[in-house]
Amino acid sequence: MTLITATFYYMAAASVASALLAVTRKNPVHSMLWVLALFLHVAGIFLLLGAEFLAAVQVIVYAGAILIFYLFVVMLINLPEEEARPRFGNHWPFAAAVALCFASVAWLARVGAGLAPVGTREAAEAAPQGSLSAIGMALFGPFALPFEMASLLLLAAIIGAVVLARRRTAGS
Amino acid sequence: MIVPVGAVLGLSAVLFGIGVFGFLARRNIILMLISVEVMLNAVNLSLAGFSRHLQDLRGQVLALFVIAVAAAEVGVGLGLVIALNRNKPGAAVADLTKLKW
Repeated sequence: MTLITATFYYMAAASVASALLAVTRKNPVHSMLWVLALFLHVAGIFLLLGAEFLAAVQVIVYAGAILIFYLFVVMLINLPEEEARPRFGNHWPFAAAVALCFASVAWLARVGAGLAPVGTREAAEAAPQGSLSAIGMALFGPFALPFEMASLLLLAAIIGAVVLARRRTAGS
Repeated sequence: MIVPVGAVLGLSAVLFGIGVFGFLARRNIILMLISVEVMLNAVNLSLAGFSRHLQDLRGQVLALFVIAVAAAEVGVGLGLVIALNRNKPGAAVADLTKLKW
């Protein structure tokens, strides 16, 4: 077992543990901090997989923007009764069963997928994975239309969020 | 760089299962949205693993789009949470039983 493989297994174990803790903590702020740990470990796995740009985006967008937004909303909203009430609904065994079924199906599909090694010829000719220029060429070449649609989607989300969270004035 | 792709996919399956459990079992709408984020991260992991295995950049580009959609989802979802909270304090889904206040 090389050092990189050992690092991967550490990252995997730590991300599973932090995801479990994030889902089960009672205090929402503690949950957020465990999700932050999960995001950083997933970014580390992206680094091990050779996706450096994806790791940077994961840290900047997920840990830096999305999670801070969640924390702001948790602080804006007063949750005094959250600590007193049960954290799971009464139906949580069903939820656990559904989650277990789905995870087992995905696990079995992973085994059955037949992950045969692809031909080494294309692999040898391929551009170095995760290099920023290769991703940029892909984003502005074959993926130009989805890229622009993502910007439209983000614009629509901005307008929708402003409209939803706007304070109603008496006139409107 | 020896990262077994099967292990990456298995980790992705486990993380997705944890996210599904959190989404279905938690009573707080903010924690439900956080569980959705866990699920999206699991999908991104499997996309990056396939991208590595197939030596194809498209997986990483798809993961970038998933991150963009997650950002949009968070914006609208938390806007909804704030709007709901203005009508009725708290974030428990069990309290959201009326369509109109």
